[in-house]
Amino acid sequence: MTDTGVTASSSRSLGRETRHLLWTVTPGALWILLFLVLPSVYLMSVAFMSSGPYGLPQMPLSLDAFERLAGFGFLGWSPGNLYTLLRSLWQTLVSTALVVVIAYPVAYYITTCRAKWRPLLLLAVVVPSWTNQVIRSFGWMNLLAPGTPLSDLAASLGLISPHMGLYPSNFAVTLGLVYNFLPFMVLPLYSAFERLDVAQVEAAQDLYANPLRTFRHAIFPQTLPGLLAGIVLVAIPAFGMYVVSELLGGGKGMMLGNLVASQFAGAANWPLGAAGAILMLLATFLGLFVMRRLGKRLGGGEQVVI
Amino acid sequence: MTKRTLHRGLAVFWWLTLAFLYLPLAVVVLFSFNSANSSARFADFSLRWYHRLMGNEEILSAFGNSLMLAVVSSLIALVVGGVLGYGMYRHRRRRLGWLILVIYLPLVLPDIVFGIAEMAFFVQINEWTGWLSPGLGTMIIAHVTFQIPFVALIVYSRFVGLDPALFEAARDLYATPRQRLVHFMLPTLKPALMAAFFLSFTLSVDDFVISFFTAGPESATLPIYIWGAIRKGVSPEINAIAALMIAAVAIAAMLSLVFSRRRSP
Repeated sequence: MTDTGVTASSSRSLGRETRHLLWTVTPGALWILLFLVLPSVYLMSVAFMSSGPYGLPQMPLSLDAFERLAGFGFLGWSPGNLYTLLRSLWQTLVSTALVVVIAYPVAYYITTCRAKWRPLLLLAVVVPSWTNQVIRSFGWMNLLAPGTPLSDLAASLGLISPHMGLYPSNFAVTLGLVYNFLPFMVLPLYSAFERLDVAQVEAAQDLYANPLRTFRHAIFPQTLPGLLAGIVLVAIPAFGMYVVSELLGGGKGMMLGNLVASQFAGAANWPLGAAGAILMLLATFLGLFVMRRLGKRLGGGEQVVI
Repeated sequence: MTKRTLHRGLAVFWWLTLAFLYLPLAVVVLFSFNSANSSARFADFSLRWYHRLMGNEEILSAFGNSLMLAVVSSLIALVVGGVLGYGMYRHRRRRLGWLILVIYLPLVLPDIVFGIAEMAFFVQINEWTGWLSPGLGTMIIAHVTFQIPFVALIVYSRFVGLDPALFEAARDLYATPRQRLVHFMLPTLKPALMAAFFLSFTLSVDDFVISFFTAGPESATLPIYIWGAIRKGVSPEINAIAALMIAAVAIAAMLSLVFSRRRSP
């Protein structure tokens, strides 16, 4: 009906449609272009400048920042930044894997409960993530500090030396990441489970498939779109994490986000920080691209986010 | 393994996970009532940290800043994002791929890159023109930027869910654009707009990283204040203020439960 209306009207009203499009879409699009796209482009250009007084960018263009990022400094090559990058990748990988392992049974359990209770159970999983992430990390600091029951337990098991806390450490960062992102995996997995064709699972059980094989052949393929969506929601922000690694990691738990941020504060070197930001962006878009391709190949199709 | 034991095992796992999710928050709340200045040992029940909060000007102003930032940015995002969502719906048959890309950018950009890009940009503009000095203004701009996509997508999906005949009806009855807005669009959009406002508000209150990098010396929000206090050395006062924020979330959760129950009986 709308279409016939448009085609039947004169070219003048097509112009009106275009005006309408501009009028409605421009403010929002312009806002994002002006206050996000332009700043991002500016930040990227900073990476190609040299570092002036107070670490501010200044003219001659140079690739210094990228060399510094790769570890080449005044004193030759040092592996510090490389370690930070590898640690970010490792933390992302481990925490995402742990989140998947925890989220599968949780999401499945919710679907086995009565329909009446499911919204409440989902809410229970999501509510902690509504509190500010600074507070959530602070809670873990309270729990893992030296002298707390958890730290004492770990010390008595010989996992850490006595009088040390479980934080700051890489372990605390992993824990914080898992804690932060668990709900983002439970939600998409839950909606995948809700659409699950139970007949396939029952068929597998009737044929005496053990639980592992049932999962592998009947459940996993069906929940794959949810899993991929969850991985996008977990791994990408985990790789760019700042708060958790800053509060729970300390100097030895530094991730790429902390390296980037520190270049805009105390040990300022804007171009170096900007180069780190470019690396982070590349990783983000590469991750999105790979997950999207995977989603399409494996039949997730349009269900995969973005 | 029978079905029953499987279900029982799952239930145990579920409760363990819930304990994991709520333990850090429970500890914060518990130690906010601790009379001793320790995060390892609970001595006695006391309200001293709460009393101390009340007299702390810095915290009160941080609370004011958080509220102001969340309300103003959400209102701006509601208007700009709402109009954008409507435009996306009305012109959904055109090629708007570039627009979708622009809208998704704030969603996929890592927080830290988002915050630093804004900060670097604002500092540069401020150097050239004297405008946009860091403070509530720059924070509002940054928050609106990440709220717009959410509002636009919520409004858009609400429109998609509507019967297109409704638009025809409104036009056939010779409603003026203004009448269409007041008597048709706003009432049908009301739930979506309310959801969008609350989501924007929550996103704003929940944000730390982007606020942190765009804030000025006078515009610290509650999370920024807490962050600073943690860095300076943990004080039990933080437990008290964090406990209050957790209580606010708990109330919001209950409200959302009540509303969702009422809507879908």
